[in-house]
Amino acid sequence: MARLSLRGIKKRFKTTDVLHGIDLEIGDREFVVFVGPSGCGKSTLLRLIAGLDPISDGDFFLNDQRMNDVAPSRRGIAMVFQSYALYPHMDVYENMAFGARLMGLSKDEVEKRIADAARMLRLDELLKRKPRELSGGQRQRVAIGRALVRKPDVFLLDEPLSNLDAALRSDVRLEIAKLHRDIGGTMIYVTHDQVEAMTLADKIVVMNAGRIEQVGSPRELYETPANTFVATFIGSPRMALVDVTRDGERLGVTNGGSIATGALPAGQTYKLGLRPDAVKLAKGHGGEGFSASVVYTEYLGDNAYVYVRLADGTLVSARTAPNDLYAPDEAVTVTVEPGSAHYFSAEDGRRLAP
Amino acid sequence: MRDSGCDGNQPETQNSTSPLMGEDGWGVAASADPKIKRALKVPQLRMTGRGLWISALIVPPLCFVALFIVYPIVSAFAYAFFDWQGLKRLDFVGLENFHTVLFVEPYRSWTINAFKNNVIVFFALMVLQNGLGFILAYALWRELPGARFHRIAVFLPVVLSTIIVAYLFKLFYHPLFGVVNITLKGIGLGWLAQPWLGQSGTALGSIIVAQAWHMVGFPTLVFLAGMQRIPSEILDAVRMETESEWVKITKIVWPLVAPSATIVFTLLFVGAFNWFELPYIMGGLDGSPFGSTDVLGLYFYRTAFGNVSSGQQDFGLGSALAVIIFIFIAIVAGVITTRLRAREIQL
Repeated sequence: MARLSLRGIKKRFKTTDVLHGIDLEIGDREFVVFVGPSGCGKSTLLRLIAGLDPISDGDFFLNDQRMNDVAPSRRGIAMVFQSYALYPHMDVYENMAFGARLMGLSKDEVEKRIADAARMLRLDELLKRKPRELSGGQRQRVAIGRALVRKPDVFLLDEPLSNLDAALRSDVRLEIAKLHRDIGGTMIYVTHDQVEAMTLADKIVVMNAGRIEQVGSPRELYETPANTFVATFIGSPRMALVDVTRDGERLGVTNGGSIATGALPAGQTYKLGLRPDAVKLAKGHGGEGFSASVVYTEYLGDNAYVYVRLADGTLVSARTAPNDLYAPDEAVTVTVEPGSAHYFSAEDGRRLAP
Repeated sequence: MRDSGCDGNQPETQNSTSPLMGEDGWGVAASADPKIKRALKVPQLRMTGRGLWISALIVPPLCFVALFIVYPIVSAFAYAFFDWQGLKRLDFVGLENFHTVLFVEPYRSWTINAFKNNVIVFFALMVLQNGLGFILAYALWRELPGARFHRIAVFLPVVLSTIIVAYLFKLFYHPLFGVVNITLKGIGLGWLAQPWLGQSGTALGSIIVAQAWHMVGFPTLVFLAGMQRIPSEILDAVRMETESEWVKITKIVWPLVAPSATIVFTLLFVGAFNWFELPYIMGGLDGSPFGSTDVLGLYFYRTAFGNVSSGQQDFGLGSALAVIIFIFIAIVAGVITTRLRAREIQL
């Protein structure tokens, strides 16, 4: 059982404000991912939850108990670090036993827990090895095992995959997802990689510049991003934002044609958000749509992305069939699938409902 | 040195048909021509500009070491086997001198007394200097308030000349005007005021305190450097598992600074058994009072070169003592080093 409640959490380092009031509720057994660009405060928030850094302002409750002044080791929280942070002078067994023994568990219980964790993480063969004799992936598993044997209420994982090579990364990602299903604890996972966030999370917390931009399921974030930051951060290639002016039922780009996209929100000017799958290309200028010219093409096998530049200079990506060939500088016309466009306020970037 | 390093690899690779070696021409040439092969087998420093430069840098210090360190040690070994009259060498006496300093009175009890004092000095400094150094380093490392100031303050005495420290502490310990006694009287502990350097019970301890004050910055610095090598995430990981400073220090920090401990312990051992300047100035050449501050260094000096009250010199006995001290230090320091090396960890 673990419910976390963050209320108005602020963090100040000397005179720099890093977190400007974070409010967040995390339910039992949830897999929550903090995602955001470097320096957005996601790792800082994780360290505050762990208790490694003091909270400057606000309250943190774990199961309705205020945790602000509780030592990290007494919060019932375990953390997996980016560099794994295994104790170099202890073998794998000792690394896992160290924390468990400090909890005052009996010798048998410690042994049983380590045996369970070792089986689950396939570490049985490695128990007598020192960390320096392990590969990156194995160290990662030991770090997770060390957290597991403490049977914490909450697992914190700080960019656990960033030190692994690409091939291993997707394997370990699957293992972490499976682990969460098997042990069912609350997990908080920090990453800057939106693919990790989308594939693992029950709930994603998108952060930017010390604030939460949006909280929601991967589907919610992708389909109804709350603002332009979330819209461009989630999804690859990123969503294009086109400054458009409304003329009746049509949306026009400066000197670049106009389109009709269906129902429109109130107002005169918007930012029109276009994901690659919402964009349709036709060869040549003229006719319905924005006129544009091809910049370059990315061929990915099962499909291709064509990047085109609109008349006002905005770069828009379109997903096309792999067989559609476009030459650089070729003139094209951009149209939009009805109902698949996003609208954002031209002033503050908030989502506008049609 | 790059040349010789390359040559050093040749014996392993030249006979194999390693594609790497074949490509760059070296391997092909080496296996084709036995002359070149032989020439390449021995790493050698050719007298090119680089070789000359290296020689020019190495030879002067090598001469210095040979002349002022190796030669005296070797000659001390030789002197120890002869009978001496002043600076005049008499007959070869075999192990007689060694026998005298170890087993014949009064030398025997002097040797034992000085050795016993050295052992006390070693263990006392182990606690006062290295122990305190470790605690200071930990405090500095944890960035307690004032750490920046204290980092410099702790190390400052180390750069002072030993002579200055010795006279300074002699003044501190002065029975009437010394700051120690005046302070004790000032805070109402006048009954503790005493002639610190003037009585057998306190003299050695007082000098040890001066030594610890002087040199505590050194182990502190080495330990601090060792601690700063510990990755911060490892400390975070420990904090997630315990809040006890004791557990952190004993189970994590201490094992991880083992390389620093090796250096510090070995140097302290060598220093403690070669101790001379402070007791010489603060206790005098006789290890006053009553030999209570006598250590092997003073005892050796007195035996070999004589002291103020008696001009009696005996190079033979002195050399024998020096050889015994040297061998003892070499063996024990070797054991300490290998033993401690074994528990060092790669971070």
